[in-house]
This record gives sequence, C-alpha cells and structure tokens, in this order.
Amino acid sequence: MFYRQAGIRHRSYVSENKLFPIPADRNILWFLLALGVLAPFLIDSLYLNSYILPWLIWSAAALGLNLVTGWAGQLHLGYAAVMAVGAYSAVHAARFGVPWEFALLIAGFSSALIGSVFAFAAMRVKGLYLALTTLAMQFVMDWVLSHVPAITGGSHASLQAPTFKLLGQPITSDAGLYYVAFGWCVLVTIFILNMRRTGLGRALVAVREKDYAAAILGVNSFYYKIIAFATSSFIGGISGAILVATFFFLASPEQFSVTVSIQVLAMVIVGGLASIIGSYFGVALILLMPGIANSLFTLLADFSGLQFSPETLAHIPNAVYGALIVIFLMVEPLGLGKIYSNIRDYLLVWPFDQIKK
Amino acid sequence: MDLIFLAELSVNGALTGLLYSLFAIGLVLVYKSSSVPNLAQGGLTMLGAYVVLAFSIQLGLPLWLAIPIAVVLMFFVGLGIERVALRRLAGRPIVMILMMTLGLDIFIRGSTLAVWGGTSRPMGLGISYDPFFLGPLLLSRVNMVGAAVSIALFIAFLFFFRSRLGIRLRAISDDYTASWSVGISVERGVGLSWALACVVAVATGVIWGEIQGVDQSLSLLLLKGLTVAVLGGLDSIIGAIVAGILLGVIENVGSAYLDPLVGGGSRELLVAIVLIVTVMVRPHGLFGRHDIERV
Amino acid sequence: MTSTADMDTTGDPILVLNSIEVLYDSVLLAIKGVSLEVPRGGMVALLGANGAGKSTTLKAISGLLKAERGKVSRGEITFDGQIIGDLLPQDRVKLGICHVIEGRRVFEHLTPDENLEAAAPISMSRQKIKSEKERIYEYFPRLAERKSAEAGYLSGGEQQMLAIGRALMTQPRLLMLDEPSLGLAPFLVAEIFDIIQKINREQGLSVLLVEQNAVAALRIVSQGYLIENGRVVMHDTAAALKANSDIQEFYLGGGEGKNFHEIKHYRRRKRWLT
Repeated sequence: MFYRQAGIRHRSYVSENKLFPIPADRNILWFLLALGVLAPFLIDSLYLNSYILPWLIWSAAALGLNLVTGWAGQLHLGYAAVMAVGAYSAVHAARFGVPWEFALLIAGFSSALIGSVFAFAAMRVKGLYLALTTLAMQFVMDWVLSHVPAITGGSHASLQAPTFKLLGQPITSDAGLYYVAFGWCVLVTIFILNMRRTGLGRALVAVREKDYAAAILGVNSFYYKIIAFATSSFIGGISGAILVATFFFLASPEQFSVTVSIQVLAMVIVGGLASIIGSYFGVALILLMPGIANSLFTLLADFSGLQFSPETLAHIPNAVYGALIVIFLMVEPLGLGKIYSNIRDYLLVWPFDQIKK
Repeated sequence: MDLIFLAELSVNGALTGLLYSLFAIGLVLVYKSSSVPNLAQGGLTMLGAYVVLAFSIQLGLPLWLAIPIAVVLMFFVGLGIERVALRRLAGRPIVMILMMTLGLDIFIRGSTLAVWGGTSRPMGLGISYDPFFLGPLLLSRVNMVGAAVSIALFIAFLFFFRSRLGIRLRAISDDYTASWSVGISVERGVGLSWALACVVAVATGVIWGEIQGVDQSLSLLLLKGLTVAVLGGLDSIIGAIVAGILLGVIENVGSAYLDPLVGGGSRELLVAIVLIVTVMVRPHGLFGRHDIERV
Repeated sequence: MTSTADMDTTGDPILVLNSIEVLYDSVLLAIKGVSLEVPRGGMVALLGANGAGKSTTLKAISGLLKAERGKVSRGEITFDGQIIGDLLPQDRVKLGICHVIEGRRVFEHLTPDENLEAAAPISMSRQKIKSEKERIYEYFPRLAERKSAEAGYLSGGEQQMLAIGRALMTQPRLLMLDEPSLGLAPFLVAEIFDIIQKINREQGLSVLLVEQNAVAALRIVSQGYLIENGRVVMHDTAAALKANSDIQEFYLGGGEGKNFHEIKHYRRRKRWLT
C-alpha cells in the first residue's frame, strides 16, 4: 500500500543494491531522522532524558550484540561485562584528564581487547557451551568489579563521571546529552546497515549458518569470529561509556551485572536476531514495558480498591519482564522485527494475497 | 594448615557439593531427555520451597503432608512449562530456547516474590543444628540429610534411564524428528522430563531452604548447579554426582586458602573459573557424551 | 500415456492420496495436487528429481510436516479406509504407518539395541520385544554384530539398516522409505534393497519407496509414480516405466541420446500432463 513496488524499475545493479530500493522505506527513514533531530523541541525534557535517551543508547548497544549473536551467530551472555570495561576505562581516562573524545576511543579499544578474549572461547566451542562460557566470564567480571577497589572503588562504591565535554565544550543541557546519544545511535545504525551488504556481513552470515562449510569456501571463520566479537565489543564499550557519561553520571558494578547481560540478550531476541529495526523495538519493549505495566497495575489497584503490598508492587516489573520474554518467544520466535517485516510484506502486495511460489 | 582441618574442609565440601549435585540433577534430567538447557531450575527451586511453605505455614499442614502436595503440584507445573512455553520452540535455534528458559526463570522468580514476598523464612524440617562428630571431623547434620537425598535420587534416576521409558527420553534428546517418525510422543516425553525436574526442584528447595532459609537467594544456586552439570557432562547423572563432590571440595578448600589473600568472596570466582576451564578443556565434561558432528 | 490395464488393482489399496496440497509456513506451496495409491502388500516407488516434492509427500503421510511448520491444505489421505489428515505422527505410527526419514537419522548416542527398544510400542511385552529384535537381527546380521556399539559410530550402511530395523519395530503395515540409497556404495544399495524386497514378500508389508536412484528402485517395485514440481506427471508399472524413452532419458541415464529439440518437445508434453 504505502510500499508500492509498482513503477520501481532498476536500470543498474548499483541502483538495485541501494540500501533502500523502495522509496517508501527511504522516506520513512528520513522522516524518523527528522523526528530524531527535532525531538528536543517536541518532547518534554523529562521524557526525553529518562526514556528516549536510554532507549537510543541501549539500542546502539543491542545492535552491537546483535552483530555478534544475530549476524555471526555466536551466543554471548557476557555483553554487560564488555560494556563495563568500556564504561570504567572511559571514566578513569576522563578523570585522569584525557579529553572525552579520546576517552570514548579508549573505551572502545579496551572493550574490543577484552571482547576478543570472549572470541577465543568461541573458537573452541559454540552454541550452548559458548553461552555458558561467556556467562562464566561475566561472573568473573562481576567478581573483579566488586573485589578490586582500584577499578571501582570497592563493592558498593560508585565512581563519579566527570562532566561530559566535546571539543572542550561541556555538555550539560538535556538537549545536548540527547544529541550525543542520538548521534552515536545513528552512527552505529549506519555502520550495521552498510555492514550487511559488504563482504564482512556476508562472511559473518556464512560463519553463522555453518562455520566449517564457510571454512571450506575459504572464509576464515576464526578470523571473522574475532572480528565479530571485537567490533561488537567496540560498539558495546562506547555505548557503556556514553551510558555512564550521559545517563547514569556515575559508574557502579550493578549497572553491568549478569542480569544486565541477560537483559541485552533479551532485547536482541525479542527484537529479532539480525534485524536492525527489531533491535529498536526490542529495546523499547524490554526497557519501557515493565515500568508501564507497573503504572497500569498501580492504577488498577487504585480503581479496584485492592491493596497490594509494596513488596508485591516491587516485584511485578520483574515478573512482567520475564513474561514478556516468554510470550514473545511463544508468539513470534523471530521477534518484533519479523512481525514488522510480515506487515511490510503484506503491504507490498496489497490488495493481493500473499505471493505464491 | 593441619591435616585434620583440611580433611574437615574436604568432607564438608563434599557434602555441600552433593547438594549442588541435587540441583544439577534437575538440569541433567531435562538436558538428557530433550537437549534443552534448563536455566529455569533456579527459579523452580525457589518456587518449590515457597509452595511447600505455603502449605505448611499458610495452611498449617504438617510438613510430611505439605511436601508431597508440593511435589504433585510442581509435577504439573513442569508439564505446564512444556505445554505452554517449550512445545512451540521445538526445532528452533538454541539461542531462542536458552532465552526462553531464562525468561521463565525471571518470570517464576518475579511472580513468586510478588506473591509471597522476599523476606527470608525458615523451612523448619526440625533437623538438629548440633554438629555431628565423625571422629575428629565436625559435620553438619542438614548437609548429611541432603547428601543422602541426593544419592537416593541419583540411584533412582540411574535406573530410570535404563528403563524403556528412559531409553525413549534419551532417544528424544538425540533426534526429535526421528522420534516422531517411530511413534514416540516427543511432547509427552519432554513434559515428563520437566515435571521430574520440578520434583527435584522441590527436594532441592526444601533442603537448601533448611540450610539457608527460604528466600530469593535460592535461585542463585544456578551458577553452581550449572557448573556441576557441565563439569560432570550435561547428560550424565553419574557426572552430576562426581562433579558435585569435586566442585564442593575445590570450592571449600580453595576458598579457605584464597579468601585471606583476596579479602573474601572467592567462592563465586572459583566456581566461574571451574566452569570456564571445563568448557575450554573438555566441553562434554567428565562423563558426558561426545556430540558426533558430521560434515 | 498412462496405462492402467496391466496394473495390479485387485483388492482395495492400503493408502490413497487424493489430490493433496502442502503449504509450508502458510505461503509456500510445495505440493500442488498429488494423488497416488499403494496396493495392499505392494511395492510402489515415487521417483523424481531434487525438490520435486517426494519427501514432502512422505511427510504429509506420516504427519512429520508439522515439525517443519507445513500442513496439508487440500485433499485427503486415506489409510486402510480411514482418513488420517488430522492425526498426530505418533497416532499414525500406531495405525501402522512408519516413515524411515531421509539421511539415516538413528539415535546416535544409543546402542542399536536401545534404538530398536525405543521404537517398540509402549504396549509391547518384553518377550515380544525380544523376539522382534531377534527377527530384525536375522534380516540384518551386520547389526547383530555391533548391537552394543554407539549407533553414531556405525558405518553409513549399518545406520541405514538400523533405521529400517527401527521402523520395523513399530509393527508397520506400510513402510515408507525416504532415499535409503543416499550416499551408499552400490553393493550396499543392492543388499538393502534385497532385504526390503524380502521383508515385503515374507511379511506382506506394503512399501512406498522414494528414490533418486531410479534404476535400483524400479528393479524391486511393481509400479512407480513420477513427480515433478509438486505434481504427479506419470504413473505406470515398473516395466513400462523402464521402457519409457523419456524416463530413460531423464532418470535412468540411458536412452539413445536425444537432441535438444526433442527435450524441449518433452517438456512441452509434460506441461500437458500436469
């Protein structure tokens, strides 16, 4: 309907291989981009900084995890540990007096370094065993964060992040912080969009589908696994650093605990493996729904006159979060991205029925 | 450090380790009969303990009645998990199944705590807290009871997997489609394995609840149980027992030496390291099956 | 084209497919109207190229389609006078349909003995299981030699024998074999096909055989169906199929070497048939 394919004729391979061969997709994207740029003028700054900003940063982080889990097919249950490396190295660097631009780069590279250690596990095992190893590595990182005061200042301590500055200009306004997150998210999205159609993207998919078959075709699967882990960790590290710099303002170990690792994976899977738009949807759902559900529940309690203990109310978001994961995997295991593309496919041929092969 | 102390550490470690085995059996059961990693066992253990308490404290039933009722109830919870959550995922990639069990774990933990609250409650089995002396060694009575339960279940399941039903379950875990093709009802088999895992969860919850109180920390046993299961081989009941003892000893003795050096809390670190080393060196564990991969 | 005059049509057939259609994922039409009959105690081959829809037809009959999110969207399947379209795979096995799936999927971590035991119906007594196992080992003496090794380590031929033996444990009346010759040496193919023929003769077991190896298949069956692009395009006795020049050209690798013009002609004729 909106996505008419009729009348679109590609006259060269270049035009057919454009990122968005269908103009409607391109127009929607421009619209969303404009919306993103204008958001600070449209949305109340309270909502902007407590919902939209973390949504964008987590989306960038989820895209990073999606790169390694969705495209390269390597299970990763230690992504929060990688983000922690980035966050702490950036904060330490910034406190030491390194400008934030470089501190972010340091965050990216140190995370990529630690992230590559995870890749060595991926060379030895895959599937379930890889998930368990990365999970164990996450636990080791949790332990290090809570037991090495030199990094975190002790188990319950938190580390204040210095004021975020770009080009020497301190960024403190709500809109300024939002633009930092928005810029990073756009950057990551553009990178992943383009990665899909390069040799790297195709090699990653080949490794995912059957690594030894890829190896027979001359794709060095070890090399691409390391690349996948390092790139995704780079993205994760900078996302972690930006999260601390623009949202939390201080770094503490529980921000990057094992539950966070599971949460990011849940975002990726509920959103849809190897789906970019899905990652945005997944993050929105996992990040925002428990809070919304809780408000609804409180509202319901007010209306019906039922009394719930504060303890019950405190645990309901968790139950809702778990239920969301379970329900989405039951209804559409391929995630929100698949639901989106089903709708899109339907609109493509509307008003006709599905294409018969 | 003198020898008696070391022996005491080892024996107590082994007893605690057998309790980890108890937890790990729940994982092994499900893996051995459906190749699904049961990461919801932590939540189930917690739920099992809370259900027992609901009958014994809230309804005032004696424990000898509350526990069997909880066992029956949890059996159906297990069947329900297969029916609702896992049936649709048969044949999907492992990442989705893994996420499903993690989601179940989060959901079960969240809703259990929402219903019953998070304050720690005693289980009240009535086992004396007086230490038991074996020669010069000081042992905990609760741990000994737990170890006995663990070994009893171990023997029961060892025979179970030799039986015709057990063979069918193992066949399911090898190949779902081939099982369907010869008339094995895969759904019922997988459901049964979850139901049994839930029964094991009640036993684990009761014993661990007696030791450390019934609260949400019961679900934290997952890391240790997982490590035991992997170290023993994910599909090996014998492995779960041997690895449990091994991990208990490593953890108890190791932390006694390491704790003064790193300022405490080295148990979790040791467990995580054992898990990493196992997967890196011998992914199929001590007694697990090799997966035969054909190109 | 199709001559049914000299075909064995005595008695009612054990399996009848009446123009079935199979839809995968609710969008992909894999079979577009297949009708076929398997006579009681007869042997029928289903021939065709890769992706023609042979395996899908078998899965529709055994109910294994549901594991692949496929369903029979039109037509009906009748087994022994009963319409079985809605039954679960395990219930079809109980009725007596057993499907030996493609690629010798034995239970790798079980021994051959346990493989056979896993397939025995729950109601079967211990003695009966024992005697059935012995009967199967008689058909496949190679298996008896290795009955307590892990099945994953058996050779390809032994695994195929085990897969067939395992299917026999379910007490089938209709045995469906999906490419039993896949990846096996010619002498093993011959050996396995001989055993299938022997079982067919001795037990009166009806057999539906899916094969790419048309030469080997046509040697043992009495009639064959040719499937292309999800449709049955030819049905005849084995002898007639063997003699058919088109079949020789495209499936038996013989023939007198047609030129391209005639191949096109054949394709056009085939369109008429479908």
